[in-house]
Amino acid sequence: MDTLTMLLHGLSISIMPVNLLACIIGVLLGTLVGVLPGIDTISAIALLLPFSYSMDSTAALIMFAGIYYGSKYGGSTTSILMNVPGEAASVVTCLDGYAMAQRGRGGAALTVSAVGSFIAGTLGVIGLTLFAPPLAQSALAFGPPEYFSIALIGLIVLTKLTGTSTLKSILMVTIGIILGTVGLDSMSGISRFTFGIDELDRGFDLSLLAMGIFGIGEILTVMTASSTQSKVQTIRFRDLYPTREEARRSVVPIFRSGILGFLIGLLPGPSGTTSSFASYALEKHYSKNPSEFGHGAIEGVAGPESANNSANSATMIPLLTLGIPFCGGTAILLSGFMIHGIIPGPALITQQPDLFWGLIASMYVGNILLLIINLPLVGIFVQLLKTPIYILMPIVAVLTLTGAYTINNSVLDLMWIAFFGVMGFYLRRTGFEPAPLIIGIVVGPELEQGLIQSLIICNGSIWEFLTRPIAGTILAVGTAFILYHAIHWFINLKHQQKETSINSNLHQY
Amino acid sequence: MTEKIVTSFFLVASIIYLCFAQHLTFGTIESPRSGFLPILAGGTAVVVSLLLIVKQIRSKKSVTNNKVDWSKFSFILIGLLFYITLFNIIGYLISTFIFLLYLFKIADTTGWRLPLLLSATSSAIFYLIFKYYLAVTLP
Repeated sequence: MDTLTMLLHGLSISIMPVNLLACIIGVLLGTLVGVLPGIDTISAIALLLPFSYSMDSTAALIMFAGIYYGSKYGGSTTSILMNVPGEAASVVTCLDGYAMAQRGRGGAALTVSAVGSFIAGTLGVIGLTLFAPPLAQSALAFGPPEYFSIALIGLIVLTKLTGTSTLKSILMVTIGIILGTVGLDSMSGISRFTFGIDELDRGFDLSLLAMGIFGIGEILTVMTASSTQSKVQTIRFRDLYPTREEARRSVVPIFRSGILGFLIGLLPGPSGTTSSFASYALEKHYSKNPSEFGHGAIEGVAGPESANNSANSATMIPLLTLGIPFCGGTAILLSGFMIHGIIPGPALITQQPDLFWGLIASMYVGNILLLIINLPLVGIFVQLLKTPIYILMPIVAVLTLTGAYTINNSVLDLMWIAFFGVMGFYLRRTGFEPAPLIIGIVVGPELEQGLIQSLIICNGSIWEFLTRPIAGTILAVGTAFILYHAIHWFINLKHQQKETSINSNLHQY
Repeated sequence: MTEKIVTSFFLVASIIYLCFAQHLTFGTIESPRSGFLPILAGGTAVVVSLLLIVKQIRSKKSVTNNKVDWSKFSFILIGLLFYITLFNIIGYLISTFIFLLYLFKIADTTGWRLPLLLSATSSAIFYLIFKYYLAVTLP
């Protein structure tokens, strides 16, 4: 009842003209970011961070959240119409979405994707509304050892679930932690790794890093790619109606994948992408016609698109209740909170109830707005997709560089952004996923503070650390996770060795 | 090959970082100081980079990538460096106009009329938005 009252209070805040306008701008920009290839959610939010200084903090955060969840809606449009995923989470949608578009059912796929995203996104926000307050209440009892345990285990799980190589992800997180140590040490006040450059005392600006690695890096990738732009189909309003059969077959996958996506969203890592792939496998498993998958099965669009939207809502839970981001998108959102002087965490709900509930309520409003934007206005977005890359990319590059300059009015920042851009380009080409690096930078200082304070509290005793009920449980779960994967890896290695020896024996005969 | 170069870059950077981290006080396990995490993180990065390099040398597989137009890549970087250098000297408006025009031509925009028009309007719009609407001090 209390939650409902607070939610209604939040709703009254979120529909205030300034907040509603921020929400509309956020979801519109989010859809654009999702639709246009070459523009990433993280770099878009990073680019807009300096613009938000003069905005009211609630409105600014509503806008950033709108971009974050709005991008997942737009990502499916390019997957279905062009076979080019606008977002990593929409990769799997290409398989059946594009096949449907080739059969002339692209409009129906877009409708099912938008409606599924709306229903599952709303399911995710309901989950956020119900689970965030009790979790925040419990987190009030957390001390440095508990925070350190969550941050450490979160990073370990993240490295396993992100990218194709665990070692590469571990290296990326560690490099992120290393970059996070540059600047004034908050515990001792000593300047670390600044080499006498005063501007480095503040540490690396996360928005600059994100704009460089995700923004300029992506622009370099797109502008230097030798592939040509795909042809876009024209969609008319009357094409958007799914048949009765398509609608019937989409209902269960939307709800099932919505719940699955929400659960995956609570885990560290790129939950949007993971949940869409997991949902695709789940829907194929439960389908009466699994052979249709890959050839235009509507469940292959409904499931993944629903899963990645509810996962997105769930990723807000650790951010809002613990102040710990578990994916790149929430890491940059955390930076948005911080530049407005707001520290997300268990105290947020009691100290800033208007902001907390206003933000959650805005997500309900935003989901409705996204449904309205993505269906009747789909034709406009399709027209935007026809904008040639050679016109779009130079404009986005200059906008990103100008945005980066405005942060500190410093040309040195432009040098940094160019350096990080080249780094982002090479990281992508060599299979290093850059998102863990960003999370490492954000979580690193918290991890350091938690570690040092915990060791002082526990007088350097690891045993005392483990006997604290919550920290001990979290560390035990993390250890079990590591052991499981280590055993799995060892068994796989043994199998490979066995196969190699059988093959070499056969070769001898 | 590029994969090994990138990993080697991280290895060298981690070793340098670790060397500088040695100058900070490590403290003790009961009372860790400002060098505690940097030394742990630097050590981890060195070990993981080494493991990755060994793995990459032993593995026959390499990351498959789309073809890149390296001449375009070099020209974009050269243009970017010129833009950053000229930014404070000739001012935002003119440097942005030149840089945009340069990028449009690198990106294979045909003709001159469209790139000139787009560069002029875009740089003017950005200038007006940042300078007057957002009150940013631009050179």
